Amino acid sequence: MITKKSIPAWQDMKKYYYQEEANMIRVEHVCKTYKVSKRDAGFMSACKALFHKEYEEVKALEDVSFTIDEGEMVGYIGPNGAGKSSTIKILSGILVPESGKCEINGCVPWKQRMKHVKNIGVVFGQRSQLWWDVPVIDSFELLRDIYSISEADYRNQLEELTTLLNLSEILKTPTRQLSLGQRMRCEIAASLLHQPKILFLDEPTIGLDAVSKLAVRNFIKQMNKVHKTTVILTTHDMQDIEALTNRIILIGKGKILMDGTIEDIKGTHENMDEAVATLYKNYDI
Amino acid sequence: MRKYLEVAKIYMKAQLAWRSDVLFNMILTITKMLFAYLLWGIMFQGKSMIGEFTFHGMLSYYIMSSFLSQLEMSGRVSYEIQDRIRNGTFSKYMIIPIGIEKYFLSMQAGIVMFYFSFQLIASMVWIFILDIQFTFTGNMMSFLCAVMMAILGIIFMVQLNYLLGILTLKYQGISTFLMIKDNLMELVTGSIIPLALFPEAIVKFMRLLPFYYVTYLPSMIFTGKCEEEAVLGVGIILSWCIVIQFVISVIWKKYIRKYDGVGI
Repeated sequence: MITKKSIPAWQDMKKYYYQEEANMIRVEHVCKTYKVSKRDAGFMSACKALFHKEYEEVKALEDVSFTIDEGEMVGYIGPNGAGKSSTIKILSGILVPESGKCEINGCVPWKQRMKHVKNIGVVFGQRSQLWWDVPVIDSFELLRDIYSISEADYRNQLEELTTLLNLSEILKTPTRQLSLGQRMRCEIAASLLHQPKILFLDEPTIGLDAVSKLAVRNFIKQMNKVHKTTVILTTHDMQDIEALTNRIILIGKGKILMDGTIEDIKGTHENMDEAVATLYKNYDI
Repeated sequence: MRKYLEVAKIYMKAQLAWRSDVLFNMILTITKMLFAYLLWGIMFQGKSMIGEFTFHGMLSYYIMSSFLSQLEMSGRVSYEIQDRIRNGTFSKYMIIPIGIEKYFLSMQAGIVMFYFSFQLIASMVWIFILDIQFTFTGNMMSFLCAVMMAILGIIFMVQLNYLLGILTLKYQGISTFLMIKDNLMELVTGSIIPLALFPEAIVKFMRLLPFYYVTYLPSMIFTGKCEEEAVLGVGIILSWCIVIQFVISVIWKKYIRKYDGVGI
């Protein structure tokens, strides 16, 4: 009698199928190139560039592949210009790669933007996503309507975020009048109001004081524990990486160089900063 | 739909943050009306008619026209898109579940509604103070056509500025396009050279362009002139809105791949 077990390939197929099912993020052979204009300094060069502009192609990502499972918290590290932000932008649907595949929670980010962004939260530490001239609470209420969050869920989530991120005193202040640290806490709250399944954090603790950093880290940990939120964190702050992630992906010059645990990276070094600096040196990145 | 209404509301609220802008906008309305009152008062001395206009008819047209042109503030759409694409913050709109063009339309609707109420109050007060016998069309059909034309005109201008804004994806800078748009608009609406000085064929051609229907024709119809052009005018500006929407979707699909979101 032929059973499923008697077909040798069945187990592999099943394993592959369920493996794919478990992958919240699947990136395969993604490449991205930027066209950058270049010219020498000086007035003559500027005049010359009027008639003939020179461009250089910069490979931001070269054959990048990885998978991340639901509920994983992954640190995505690398030196400046390594391709971290480009990856995050592709994953969040902002950039379109030249080649390769990318599937996040069943969506191709740049093809199904509206569906995809409903399930993700993005924090770019360097830029504000809040509305500049109105109090923070107005931005939150607009986001409630944009994400169609029910009133009850919104109230609960707002209360939780306000308490954990200590926002009560700044909710009524216009974004433009907040300090960087205050704004960052509000940015994080704004990206979490709709309880996203996946969170992309690009330098989320930049400018935060020690207390706020701890509050943000604890909150992200709790989100991950309670809601199984998948988190990708890019940062140069190794304390964030150590506090939040188990797995680290190292990228340099657009290529994935290492994918392992904190222990793998740390090796014999006393602290993560030293370990990472040695890695960058060894890989010449 | 609700989210777009909320976008409009947040921009209405944001206008209130800049009280001096509101104040100066109202002062500008008042100054323009006073200036027009004095200027046309001198021009009409010893005359009851200039062209087809009486003194009060001319002031009515002027008030209506400046009222509509002050509501047409869509220029900021192209500048905002240009700046955001260049510094990478355009990503803000791409990571939230909202139609980006509809977002800008809602934003503009919020701003227009805000200024509409202030401009209306300022105009009404000055019509009363200067005792202007406001000439208004008595034809309901013409009135409705003029309202539709004014609304479609504002929508068209937002679409046009949105289109010019997203051209930044390809050209990095759009100041040349904006200069052409502004000059063409002034030419077609008769701000640079009166339309009456152009040969008939050129005027006819200009009437096929959308700018004629943004402020000029609605103002004329509201004040009881050119009523025979009302229905055709609505058709023409509506056609332009449809055509430009098609162009926007083609350009967007073609150039969004070029966006690199640099700076973040």
